[in-house]
This record gives sequence, C-alpha cells and structure tokens, in this order.
Amino acid sequence: MTRLGPDELAQSFEKTLGDAVIGIRKCEREVGVQRHIYVSLWVKIKPQALHDAVLHLCTLEPMPHFSVISSADLGDEIEVCYHFSLCFGQRRSATAIVLKFRLNKSNLAVPTITDLIPGAIFSEREQQEMMGLRVEGIPDDRRLFVSDSFPAGVNPWRRDETGPHDMLHILGGREGIQHE
Amino acid sequence: MSDTVHKTSYSLPIGPIHPAVHEPIRLDLTIDGEEVTAVDVDLGHVHRGIEWIGMNRNNPVQTIYLAERICGICSACHPFAYVLAVEQATGIDVPPRADYIRTIVAEIERIHSHLLWAGVAGHEIGFESVFYYVWNVREKIMDLTEMLTGNRNSKAMYMIGGVRRDFAEEQFAAIREAMAFYKVAFDELKKIFLEDRTIKMRTRGVGILSKEDALRLCVAGPTARASGVPLDVRQDHPYGAYADIGVDAITPDVLTGEVVGDVYDRIVVRLLEIKQSIEIIEAAVSSMPAGPILTEPKIAKLLALLKKAEGESVARVEAPRGENLHYVRLKSGEEPLEAWKVRAPTYANLQAVETILKGGQIADVPIAFASIDPCMSCANRAVVMDNASGTCRVLDGERLHQLSLEKTRRLQAELSGK
Amino acid sequence: MGMNSFKRALWVYHVNTGSCNGCDIEIVASLTPRYDLERFGVKLVGSPRHADVLLVTGPVTREMEPRVRRVYAQVPEPKVVIVVGNCGNEGTVFHESYNLIGPVDQIIPVDIYVPGCPARPEAIIDGVVKAWLKLEGATKERATSK
Repeated sequence: MTRLGPDELAQSFEKTLGDAVIGIRKCEREVGVQRHIYVSLWVKIKPQALHDAVLHLCTLEPMPHFSVISSADLGDEIEVCYHFSLCFGQRRSATAIVLKFRLNKSNLAVPTITDLIPGAIFSEREQQEMMGLRVEGIPDDRRLFVSDSFPAGVNPWRRDETGPHDMLHILGGREGIQHE
Repeated sequence: MSDTVHKTSYSLPIGPIHPAVHEPIRLDLTIDGEEVTAVDVDLGHVHRGIEWIGMNRNNPVQTIYLAERICGICSACHPFAYVLAVEQATGIDVPPRADYIRTIVAEIERIHSHLLWAGVAGHEIGFESVFYYVWNVREKIMDLTEMLTGNRNSKAMYMIGGVRRDFAEEQFAAIREAMAFYKVAFDELKKIFLEDRTIKMRTRGVGILSKEDALRLCVAGPTARASGVPLDVRQDHPYGAYADIGVDAITPDVLTGEVVGDVYDRIVVRLLEIKQSIEIIEAAVSSMPAGPILTEPKIAKLLALLKKAEGESVARVEAPRGENLHYVRLKSGEEPLEAWKVRAPTYANLQAVETILKGGQIADVPIAFASIDPCMSCANRAVVMDNASGTCRVLDGERLHQLSLEKTRRLQAELSGK
Repeated sequence: MGMNSFKRALWVYHVNTGSCNGCDIEIVASLTPRYDLERFGVKLVGSPRHADVLLVTGPVTREMEPRVRRVYAQVPEPKVVIVVGNCGNEGTVFHESYNLIGPVDQIIPVDIYVPGCPARPEAIIDGVVKAWLKLEGATKERATSK
C-alpha cells in the first residue's frame, strides 16, 4: 500500500467530494531539535457529506484510525470535529485528519459512521448525551457517561438553556471561581 | 454445555489485596456453564464533569493541574497532551530542552505504569509473591520521580510553553543509576513472566483480540500492538523528543516470532516497552540540549496572552495505555477554554472488552480484563451487563478471583504431573 | 507512642466515590513491603459489616452517594471514618461540578482527614494510626460506661 503524503490526501478529498469540501487547512509544525515537519489536515465539509467523507477515508486505507468526536457550542451553531489518523505504521509517516462541519441548533442530526467504523460507537453515544446531537442509525442509543437518573434534556457541554446550570454544586463550601 | 444460562455479577478490584481497593465497577456477564457468552459495557458511575470545569470555571493554567488528576496513574500524559494542544493552538514555542525533559518524564511514567500493571496481572493469576516483588521494584521509579519532580505522583512538571523544573547534574546521575537498575530488573521480570510455565498456560490463547477486530474497534496502545497493529503515537505523530530519538511500535513477533493477540502477547509488549523506555530515557539524557526550559516564565503574562488568543488544535501523546488525545479551542476575550475534549486510551480499549471476554472461561475474566490495562478513572467506569434471561445467580468478585486462583493451582498440579 | 499498646487488629473497608485512583494506588502501596502497614495488624476486608474503619477516597459523584451512605450504615459501632486525599477532604481541583456532591463530610461524618494529592503512604499510615487511637479510646469509653 502506497503511503500518501498530506498534499496527495488533500487532493484526493477535493477530487472525490467536489464542492462538499468547503476548504482544507494544512497545519505544519516543526518537531524536535532536527526540526522535522509534521503536517495535519483540517478538512471543512458540508454536514451532509460526512458519511461520504468517511467512506472516502476507508478507500484510502482499509481501516483508518478513528480517535474521537469533539464539538463546541458556538451559540446558534455547533461545530463538530471527527478526528482521524491515516498512514500510521512507520516512523513519522502518519497524517492527522480532522473532518469538520457546523450544524445549526435547529437540526442536530448526523448519520452514524459505525457501519464503516464500529469503534466510533462510544464517541457517538457521548455526543448525544453531552452535546445533544442526534446520531441517526446509531446501533446503541443508551447513555454512556452519565447515569440514567441524570435528567433528560440536560446537555452538560452546552452553554445555552440546556446546559447543566441547575445541577451545579460547589464542593467544600468555597465560592466557585466566577467568570463573566 | 448446560441448558441453564446464568447471569453473574463481577466486582472488579484494582488492588492486589483483593477486597482492599474497590473500584466502583461491576461486570455483569452471561455465562453458560463455564463459558462467557455475552458481555456489554456500560459506563457512568464516576463521571466528575472535568471537561465542564475546564470550559467554564478554570483558566488554561489551572486546567493543567486538573488534567493531571484525570487519572492518578497516568498523570504525565494528560497534561502533556493538553499543553501541546494549547501551544499548537496559540503558536506558543517550546524550548528544545523542555521537549527533552517532557519526554524523560513521560517515559518514566510509562515504566512506572507498566510495572504497576505487571504486579496487578501477577495478582490476578494468583502469584502474590510476583505482585509484591514487582511493586517493590516499582518503588525505585517512585523514588526517582520524587527526586526529579518533588512528588511520587502528580508531577506538576508541564506548563504551557515548557516545563516548570530543570534537572541538575545530580538528578541526571540519579536517572542513569535508576536506568542501570532497571536494565537488570528487566531481565528478572522477563524470566518471571515470560518463562514461567504456569503463567504461559494461563495467558496463552486467553483473551484473544484479532488484528481485524483491533482495527475495527479503534483500540490503541499495547492492546492494539499485541494484536499486530503497528500503532504508536511516538512513531506516527512524533512530539517532544521522539522525532529526534526515533521510536518503532513494538509488536510481539519481535520476541516470539508470531502474533496471537492474547494476554501473553500483551505481557510481552509491555515488558519490551519497559526496555524501550529505558533506551529512550538514556538517549534523551545523552543528547539533552542546553538552554531555557520555559518560554514565558511569568504566569500573569502567560494568562494575559492566553486570554487574547484564539485558535484550536488537537494533540496526541502515547500514554502507557495508548493514544491519548486532547482537543482544545480558545476564544479571544474568554479565560476558560471554549471547548475541551479529552479522549483517554481506555475509552477506546473498553470497546474491545466484549470481544476479548466472549467465548472465554469465567476463571479467565480477571486476567483478560486486566490485560487491556483499564484505567478506569480515565474513561469513567465500566459496568458490564448482559441481556440474558433465565436464572439469576450472583457470583461476587471474590468468587471470580477464587476461580482464577483455582485454575492456576489446577494447571500447576497438571504441570508437575500429579 | 507505644505501638505495642494496640490490642486488636484493625479491619478496614475501602470505598472509592469517584477518585482518580492516585490515593487508591498509594493505599495499596502502603500495604506493600516498603511501607508495610500490615505489620500494625491492619487488614483489608471485603465487607463493611466486618470493618472497624471506613476508608473513603474521591469527591463523591451523584451515583456513589447512596452507596457511601449505605456502606457507612453497615459498618458497626464503634467505627471511624478516614478520608484520604484532597478531593474527598475538600474538593480542590473538582471544586464545582454538575455530577459531584461531595466532599465526603457533606455525606457522612468524618473523623480523620488525610491530606495530599495524592496522599503519601506515610500520611496514610499516620491517618490510620490516629484512627486506631481514636477507636481504642472509643472502645475504652464504651467498656467503662457499661
């Protein structure tokens, strides 16, 4: 299997997904005294293209290494990042790839990718309970980190009215650090 | 085997003195006779809301100390990944000497963690003397950690932009002496774990995870490498001093010539990694760059810089248990992080528990589960439940541990021809 | 201090309410040959009903709170509660959360607070010895009040 470099990977995304790719940011950093260049790709896509993008990753490498889904509450929108790593196995060979898209809070549906990558199940369950995403086709709908007695509709990572504001408890009787 | 399918509950201890240290974990398994037929993972008894604290209450420097306490065993890898992510997101430089110090501390942690695990593994099979021996050997690395960082645990070495303490010549001498000690200890451990017939009988062919399953389930660290997946963040996405020193992922065929993906292979990989860590530490010490250790030593200035900064990044480090990832996002004008996601390795490795335990015997549950080196506080906790109907028979953790000990004694008797 | 004056073994039951395991590992280290808590006759037991001392770590999550109360009720009198570690004593890094309702003395009465993050084996042993003295005092009181 030929190992693709970051530029070739970027080109393959643009070629396969066309205008579903909104933009690709190439992030370079120097590592070590010998200043090796290490590259990661941040691929911004349209949310509907998520499944196709992951499918494309699976053609580049039989089983890309999936790490986690991260998300950020930006007000009206939630930005979601799927973190992957490709071409691992030799020294300094891998490229980290982030698939990034924004969802409006009025529609937080994403398709499951567990049909392609079964190991994504924990991350999808966590995003459902913590950020309130709705993963369509998820094979296991249960909560992961919070217990079943945790109130429904409360999303601990959100900064809006669904956040855990009523559930906060300050330990030790000290005032919590206040931020404006 | 039998017609009755039982549902059983297993309380997983992490401590060697069996009832001593209870993790709030329960494995509920479906067993048919002696075989485990179904396993399910459920987390959620010990969720502390750490990411919320980092996003709502702390400034980014306070979050370093919070990250250290995500897990008491891997207290270097979490702040390491965190500060790397913040530095990448904000463009803060790190002096080369700090890179090397960070690497040394991380590798010392790896040796400590693998020794801790080896002791627990010995206990799970029933070799109490192995447990006591290994944890005594481990004390030397605790002393070294204390001499270098001031504490046996919670090292508080990492800071955004470098490290907080430098090493003096006496400390380098202590490191060299400790590495010489561990080279000898490594040969002893190799003999104890890899040449003992009973340990081999208890672990060969037990808890197998195939390479395909390891890839499908996105496992990381020694659990993945023991199944033949050459995944190691120090090799693939190098950071710190690893790009200079050069690291290759260790798979069991390096020693045994084959990959089975069982508990024995996981022991092989972890023991060989101890040797590898010794070599990395020695390489880092011998090529230690001179210079400063911290880009911005004044915390107030650093905090002001971070408050103005905007950006996002993701950083991965190779924790003793596997790939540890931190994603951070900073917003200009806000002191707490805008977003923070921690993906500890056990989070991924737990997904493989069902595959590892299914089809095995209940007497093997303690050692097979322990072989993925679950760091429960990293991943919150696991309660493994089953979906069986039928008669409910409760076996508590002590009983399951007893079954493991009985199996060991049985095998020892067979081996000695009684 | 007169170690020889301890007239009984000390049976300890440990419960983890959500700690990072740092203190739990140091508790186990206290029992290994280097620190050797066992030479004082300390024994860890598998059931709270057999215990004299309840050893608690962690900042108490919502899910663990009923278990802590239940375990406390099951330990027979006279009993002593030791909390090991800063987060169980006071919260410290986990100073505020949506899923934590500690520290431990908000849930059950605590007799001995062992500080540290994690607590050193020396501090844990010191705490256990203090608990022992308290327990011996309590036993003497009960005997003399009868």
